[in-house]
Amino acid sequence: MPEDKKEIVGYRQQPGKLDFTRPGSGGSSPNSEKRDPSMIPQSQGGELDQPWGPHRHDDLVTGRIIGKRTPLIDSRWKVTGQAVYGDDVRLPGEIIGRLVRSDRHYAKVLSIDMTDVESIPGVLATATGIDAPSAFGVLPVTKDEHAMALEKVRHIGDIVACVAAEDEETARLASAAVRIEYQDLEPIFDMRDGLKDSPDPIHDRDIYHIGESNVQKRVFQRFGRISDLKNSIASYENEWTFKGVNHGFTEPHAVVAHWDPRGRLTLYTPQQVPHYVHRALADVLDIPMHQINVHRTYVGGGFGGKSDPFPHEMCAAILARKSGRPVRITFDREEVFWTNRGRHPSRISMAIHADKEGRFSGIETDALIDGGGFASFGHVTTYYNGVLHTAPYEIGAFHYTGARVWTNKPASGAMRGHGAVNSRCAVEVGIDHISEELGVDPIDLRLANLLPPHSATITGFRVTSIGMRECLERVRKESGWDKKFRKMPLGKGIGVGCGFFISGSGLPIHWDPNKFPHATVHLKIDMDGGVTIHTGAADIGQGSDTVVGQAVAEVLGLPMDMIRIRSKESDTSPVDLGSYSSRVTFMNANAAVSAAMEVRSELIEAASLITGVEASCLVLGDRRIFNKKDPAVGVSYLQALHKAQEDRGALIASGSYRTPPMGKMHKGAAAGLAPAYSFSAYVAEVDVDIETGRIKVEKVWAAHDCGKALNPLSVEGQIIGSCHMGLGQVISEEMKYGRTGNLLNPDLLGYKIPTVHEMPEVVPIIVESNDPEGPFGAKEAGEGPLLPILPAVCNAVYDAIGVRTNELPLTPDRLYRSIEKACKQQGIKDPRDLPNPSLEQTPLSDILIRRAKDHAKRDRERRLNPNPDAYYNGQLFNRHDTGPPEENDPDWTVQVLPDQEYLENPKLAGSAWLHKERRHMEGVE
Amino acid sequence: MASHPLPLAGNPPVEVWTASVNGKQVQTIIKNYDVLLDVLRDGIGSLGTKRGCDMGTCGCCTVLIDGKPRLSCMTLALEAKDRQVTTVEGLSDGHHLHPIQEMFAECGGSQCGFCTPGFLVTSAALLETNPTPTRQEAMDAIEGNLCRCTGYQQIVDSIMSASKILSEGIQNKPITEPASDPDPGFGG
Ligand code: FES
Ligand code: FES
Repeated sequence: MPEDKKEIVGYRQQPGKLDFTRPGSGGSSPNSEKRDPSMIPQSQGGELDQPWGPHRHDDLVTGRIIGKRTPLIDSRWKVTGQAVYGDDVRLPGEIIGRLVRSDRHYAKVLSIDMTDVESIPGVLATATGIDAPSAFGVLPVTKDEHAMALEKVRHIGDIVACVAAEDEETARLASAAVRIEYQDLEPIFDMRDGLKDSPDPIHDRDIYHIGESNVQKRVFQRFGRISDLKNSIASYENEWTFKGVNHGFTEPHAVVAHWDPRGRLTLYTPQQVPHYVHRALADVLDIPMHQINVHRTYVGGGFGGKSDPFPHEMCAAILARKSGRPVRITFDREEVFWTNRGRHPSRISMAIHADKEGRFSGIETDALIDGGGFASFGHVTTYYNGVLHTAPYEIGAFHYTGARVWTNKPASGAMRGHGAVNSRCAVEVGIDHISEELGVDPIDLRLANLLPPHSATITGFRVTSIGMRECLERVRKESGWDKKFRKMPLGKGIGVGCGFFISGSGLPIHWDPNKFPHATVHLKIDMDGGVTIHTGAADIGQGSDTVVGQAVAEVLGLPMDMIRIRSKESDTSPVDLGSYSSRVTFMNANAAVSAAMEVRSELIEAASLITGVEASCLVLGDRRIFNKKDPAVGVSYLQALHKAQEDRGALIASGSYRTPPMGKMHKGAAAGLAPAYSFSAYVAEVDVDIETGRIKVEKVWAAHDCGKALNPLSVEGQIIGSCHMGLGQVISEEMKYGRTGNLLNPDLLGYKIPTVHEMPEVVPIIVESNDPEGPFGAKEAGEGPLLPILPAVCNAVYDAIGVRTNELPLTPDRLYRSIEKACKQQGIKDPRDLPNPSLEQTPLSDILIRRAKDHAKRDRERRLNPNPDAYYNGQLFNRHDTGPPEENDPDWTVQVLPDQEYLENPKLAGSAWLHKERRHMEGVE
Repeated sequence: MASHPLPLAGNPPVEVWTASVNGKQVQTIIKNYDVLLDVLRDGIGSLGTKRGCDMGTCGCCTVLIDGKPRLSCMTLALEAKDRQVTTVEGLSDGHHLHPIQEMFAECGGSQCGFCTPGFLVTSAALLETNPTPTRQEAMDAIEGNLCRCTGYQQIVDSIMSASKILSEGIQNKPITEPASDPDPGFGG
C-alpha cells in the first residue's frame, strides 16, 4: 500500500491530517485570532460600551460581524443583473398568461363567452371563476377573494377570466376577445357611504354581516380614566383626510407556474409571504400542500404590497394546469395599481387633551378607513389605526372607534407602517398644537410624558426597551433645534415627530401560538466547513438573508463568505411566516442564533475532546476554538468540525423562536401585541414658498431606536428609504379617484414618487436600546422609521408659515388653498404678511423640564435593573398602586363595546356600531 | 372591449436586426414595431434589463446606446440597429466588477436591486464622461431613475465612491477567484 493511502486509513486517529483542497476555513494559528475588542461587549471583557446593560447573547459575540457594515449577501447578483425576479423566470416551453379585467365598477357577471378566443390560433388555455370556486384571503377570518370573479366584479380591474397563449401578443389579443355580459349594480366610492345600508352589499358575510351595510370591521375601545378628561386645560381636535397611497415598488407583480412531470406545482413568485400563498394554492387548486413548491424569486420591492396571496398567482397555476405548459403572467404598471393593497384612504378625527401639569389626559380617535373591494389585511389595519398610538406617551384615557368599509375601488391592505402611519401623523401634529397652547417646547412636552422601560401601555402592550428619550435628545441636539424652533423667518421652519411600531406581530396569522414557533431556521454544515442556512424568511431587498447569515457567522466565528443561504423554496426551507409586521430580523435571527448555539456547543464539545480543555473554558474566535485563558491552546474550526462529524456526517441543527405569552384578555387585545417595539424621532427642516404653496424639505435628522444595529449599513438604508416613502405621502403621492370613481393616475407619471431632487439630505441616527428579547438586542428598523416623517414635515410647515393642514399630501395647490384660507380668516391680503408663529414659554415649561430630568433618571435605573418593579400606564397620574389599574382603580374603564350613551351621538366611524349583526336581528336564527 | 378577435390583423413586417450588445455582435428577427426592451429581454436574453413601467417613467430599463443612457422601453429596436448597446451585463468583464457595481454592492446602493441595472448603466455613463462628478452632478445624472427602496442617498454615495476608485486607478479584485486563505486550518 502506498504511503499516502496509509494516511487516510489513519485519519480517524490523526484528526486533521487528511489533505483537503483549500476550503479557506482555517484559523489554525493562534495569530489568526482577529477578535476586535471594540466589538466585544464590556460584559465579556471587551471594549464595546453597554450603556443599556448586558444582553443574554453577549457571550455568543465573537466580535467580527454583528454591528459591522455588511454589504447584502446577494448584492453581487443584483449588480451584475444575475438576480432572477418574477418576470425573469424562463422555463422551457413557457407561455404567456393574461388576465381579463373588469371594466365595470360594480356589476353582476351574467355570462362569459370564450368562443372568439378559442378560435385564435396560439391560444392554449382559458379559465373563468368556476374553475376555482374556493375563496381565499390572507386572514383566515376574512377569506373573500377568488381566483376570478364568481358572480360579481367589485372594482375596475377585478379579474374575470384569464387566457394563456404562445406569446404575449396573442395573449393580449385573446384577452380582448373575451366577451362578458354584465349587469351594473350601484357602486359606492365614498367611504362614508359604506357605513349606510345598501341594497347590494359588496360582500355578504351571512349571519355575521353587519346590518346591510358595507362595514367590514368595526372596533370600539375605551380605556383609562375617561372621567378625568373633563379636567383638561388644552384640547385639540382635527379632522384629517388621508388619501390612498400605493407601495410603488419598482418590480410589477409577476408569476410563473409550472406543473412538473410528476404532477407537482412549482410557483415562482416574488412574494413577501410565500407560506400563505402555499396554503391558499392548496385550497384553491384543491391539492395537498405537499404537492406544491413555492419558489420565491428575488423580490423587486414589497413594502407590504406583495404579502397577500393574489388571484393572479392562482390564475397562473390554473392556466398551467389546463395547458400543461409553464405559464408566466406579468403585470403592467396599471395592473399594479388595480391590485393595490396600499395604504387605506382614511378619515381620522383625533382629539388630544392635556391637563394643567402638561400630561396627556387622553386621546380620542375615530378612524374610518376605505378598504376598497376586499378585506385583505383590513381586519388588523382597523385595530392598528387606534392601538398603535397608545405609546410612547403615557396617557390618561384612550378612546378609539374605528371602522373599515368596502367600496368599489382596488383593495387597500398592508403597507410599510401598516395602519399606524396616518393616525400617528394626527397624534404628533396634535401634540405640536397642544404644546403651543400650553406654551411649551414640543420636545420638552414629549420628554416629560414618555413611558419608562419595562412598562405596560394603557391597552396592555408590554414595552421592554425604549430609546425614545435618546432619539428625541439626539435629534434635538444634532438639528440645532433650540436655536431654530419658532425662530426662523417666515417660510422656513422646523418640526418634530415621533413614531412607535411593532417589532414582529405577537399573534401571527394562520398559526397556533401554543404549538408552533414563529420562525424556524435550519443549519447544515458538512466537511467543507461552509454553513448552509435554510430559512423560509423572504428577503425582499431589506437584507433578511444577510442578517440571518450575520447572526450565524457571529456565533460560529466564521467569515461571511463561508455562509450560504437557501431561503427561496418551500421544499427546502422550514416554514416562515413571511416578511410582514417587521418580524423577520427579530424572530428569524433569534431562531438562527438558537440553531447556531446548538452547533457551537457541538463544536466546543469536539474541541474539548481533542484538546482536553474543559468545554466551559473554550470559546470560538476567528475559525478557531481555543482556551479562554490561554488562547494559544486550541484547535481550528475545521478540526473540531471533523471531530464532531465522526460517525454521523454533516452537522444539522434547528433553532426556532416563539414569543412569550403577553397581553390582556379583552377583545382585540392581541392586535398590536409584539415582543418588542421600535421608537423613532425625526426633525425636519423645510422651506415653504408661501406664494405658491410649494414645499421643499431641506434636511431631516432621523433617529431610530432599532435596539441594536446588526448591520448599520442596512439600518441606515432602511431609515433613508423610509424617509423617502413617507415623504412621498406627505408631499406628492396619492391615488386620485375622479368623481365617477375612476382611478385617474394608475401610472408612475401621475402617481408622483419623489425623485432624487425631492429627497432631502437625511442624517440617519441609530439609537441602540439593547432589547432584552431581540437577537443581540436588535429590534425592527424597516417600518417604524417611516412614521415620524409625516408629522415632522407637517409641523415644520406650521413652523414655517403658521398654517395647520388636515389633508395629505401637501401638494402646492392644496397647501396654497390652506394659506388662502388662513389669510382670509385673519383678514390678510398678501400671504407674505402672515404672522410667523412664535413661542412664549410659560412656567409649565420648567415643570416639564424638571419632570423629564427625573424621568430620565428613573428610566436609566429601570433599564439597568434586571428586575424592575411593574409599571403600568397611568402611574404618572398619581396612581400609587403598582398593580394593573383595571384591578385597582375603580374609575378605570375597560370597554370594548359601545354603550347606549355613545350610540346616541356616535362619531363617523363609530356610527358603524348603529348596525346590528344579522345574527342578532329579529327573526334570524 | 374589442369584439373583433384580431384588431391588429395582418402580418407585421419582420426584419433582421443586428447590433453589438455588450461587445458581441448579435442578430435576431424582430417585428418593426418591437421596442428595444422586448428585443433585449426576449430576443437576446439580456434579462438584467428590467421593465418597471413600460412608459418611460421609472428608468429601470435604461441601457446605453453608443454610450448614452436611453430608456429601452421607449426606444424602437430599429433605432438601435447596428449600434453599440450596453446593458448591466456588459459592465463587468466576467472577472472584474466595474467599480460602480462594486460600490453599489458595498455602499448600500442596491436594496431590492430591481432599479439597480438602470442606475448602474446611467452612473457608468456619467463616470465615463465625468470621472469626478460633484454630488449635485451625480444627482442630476440619476434624476430619471426611480428607486423606491434606498431614498437615493446611498446610491449617490456609491457613485461618489466609485468615482474615487476610478480616479485613483485602484484595480479591484477579480470576483471569479475565491478569497485565498493563508491559514487553511489543519495545524495544531
Ligand atoms: S420600463 Fe422603461 S422607464 Fe420604466
Ligand atoms: S433598490 Fe429597490 S427600487 Fe431601488
